[in-house]
Amino acid sequence: MSTGNPFESASGAAREIKSSDAFRTRQIYNKKVFVERVREMMSQAPLLMKLRFTADVGQVLIKEGANNNSLYIILDGYVAQLKNSFESNAAIDMQGPGDFLGLLSFHTGEPAFTSARASTKVSGLKVNHHEFDEFNSKYPEISKVLQGLVFSNLSERYRRVVTLHIEVDHLSRQLEEERNQLQLTVIELEKTRNRLINQEKMATLGELTAGLAHEINNPASALLRSVDYLIQKLPEMLQKAAEQTDTSMVRFLFDAGTNRDYSDHITHRELVKKFSEKYPHLSRAQVRAITMMNKETYQRIRKYAESPELNDVLNLLIDSYQAGSFMNSIRLSTSRIENLVKSLKSYSRQSGNKPEETDIRNGIRETLMILGNRLREIEVSVNLPEIPTVMCNIGELNQVWTNIIINACDAMKDKGTMEIECGSEGENVFVKISDNGPGVPDNIKSRIFDSSFTTKTAGGDFGLGIGLAVSKGIVEQHNGEIRVGDAPGGGAQFTIYLPAKN
Amino acid sequence: MSKIYILVVEDEPEVLDVVVRDLSSLEETFPIEMAVSVKEAREIIAEIEENGDKLGLAVCDHVMPGEMGVELMIDMQKQPFTERTRKVLLTGQAGLDATVEAVNHARLNRYIAKPWDPEELVKIAIDELTTYVIEHEKNLLPYLGILDAERLNEVIRSRGTVSDH
Repeated sequence: MSTGNPFESASGAAREIKSSDAFRTRQIYNKKVFVERVREMMSQAPLLMKLRFTADVGQVLIKEGANNNSLYIILDGYVAQLKNSFESNAAIDMQGPGDFLGLLSFHTGEPAFTSARASTKVSGLKVNHHEFDEFNSKYPEISKVLQGLVFSNLSERYRRVVTLHIEVDHLSRQLEEERNQLQLTVIELEKTRNRLINQEKMATLGELTAGLAHEINNPASALLRSVDYLIQKLPEMLQKAAEQTDTSMVRFLFDAGTNRDYSDHITHRELVKKFSEKYPHLSRAQVRAITMMNKETYQRIRKYAESPELNDVLNLLIDSYQAGSFMNSIRLSTSRIENLVKSLKSYSRQSGNKPEETDIRNGIRETLMILGNRLREIEVSVNLPEIPTVMCNIGELNQVWTNIIINACDAMKDKGTMEIECGSEGENVFVKISDNGPGVPDNIKSRIFDSSFTTKTAGGDFGLGIGLAVSKGIVEQHNGEIRVGDAPGGGAQFTIYLPAKN
Repeated sequence: MSKIYILVVEDEPEVLDVVVRDLSSLEETFPIEMAVSVKEAREIIAEIEENGDKLGLAVCDHVMPGEMGVELMIDMQKQPFTERTRKVLLTGQAGLDATVEAVNHARLNRYIAKPWDPEELVKIAIDELTTYVIEHEKNLLPYLGILDAERLNEVIRSRGTVSDH
């Protein structure tokens, strides 16, 4: 074997390659066979041995955009093909044993389209132009085989591009489908969320209704019964009064009745006892009525009480006093009902209305009024100094106050103290609602506004336990923020920030 | 003779007033005591017991500051002095829970919803007091004019028959 010409003995190997079945069939480019052949050739042709190269992991063989003067044939190891894209240096392909590198840039002389970087230890052949030309002119047979290989390699690349296109098309179609599905899901979720919010609202309303029934039924009872009494008594009273020579006492007692204050019942009972003993001729009802009067009124009526002969006049005076007192009841009850209805009307103002410039303190006051029944055993201190107005939907914000206040009631088991204050801070107004309940543990503070989070058990309390999630949604819709913290001295503190109208 | 009291517990003075007025036809026989809270009611009950009198009927609101009406009634049911007292819950709240609790634990005798019909209230009071005196009083004659005469007469007759033998 001569060493003078490195290609001397390569022609034999080339012939061998040419005659190999593997290179003639359509699967001509069987990489495994090719690699084996090249190795065989290398062992026989020292020239090929000279072209050997190795690369370590991470070594860059070809740099994107740079000129490339070498053609690489990989025999062992893997090389990543990288393309600088918009976002990253993405690996677009992986070349392994039997693959060519730098085929295009080597032949066309154009800057490399992609970079090639060794992913593993790589070994193979590296051919420059000079060697390639030498190869071509001196060993046309081998060169012809190589050209065939190059062509196969290119056509394989082309096939892969086409397959890739089909795959991309398939994937985008799949993506499109998934996106549509996702959109449907989002719409469905939105619907579910709205339904949940509505259910929560209805539950709040249910809670409110039970309390309101009591709030309204009490004054309604007083009202109804007072009117009944007056209808029944007034004609008789008028007739009796007409028989009196001096009606100024009747008038005086009626007025006293309308200004009556309610005495404490313990001292009242002692008075009743004393009176019953002092004036045995008086009936219990009379004693009860007289002892309810204040000192001044009593002094005026005293002589009628002391004398059994004046009992008829005493009855008329007591009736006058009671008539006045029932009139007072009617006035109080009516205005209570009126206030309740007013509050309710403004409280439940439909959401979805356009935001209005609002003094949010009114909404807080209305909410407190509506929730009065629930707050009976809670000491509520309210400190609402003047604050800038807010563009908001007052009905929706009332839902927020309600949710937080009812939550506080639940947490305190309806007994304790609650503090409600407001103020302004920079461009924002804030409302702070604090209670002295057990507070919110630190580890759940971040989850407390999630709609999936609730401490309420099924069937317990009212609502769905998504009150805080709903509140957060409403506050955020108003470009505000809701936060939970610890109240000074324990308990929870919710702070709602809303942008002030400038 | 010991007196049989009616106790009305209601936190709102205007409402308390009208309840008492509605029951005033019974007042000469059954003195009415008024309380604006459960706490006050307990004091009054203790006083009635101390004086050696009886509590025949308690008409009680449910929703009140401090303790609720039902709590008082359950308590009354546990005390020997008030165990047999006829108990009527008077409430404006539509909630069922309190009612169920009252019926189950306080042996609540009646439940009246606000606003009430005064005739119905008086009728219920008469009914309950009739039951009370039949259970507790030997001499029913003083109550014939004011309570349910028909029921009282029947009992008087049957008692008479028993004592004849």
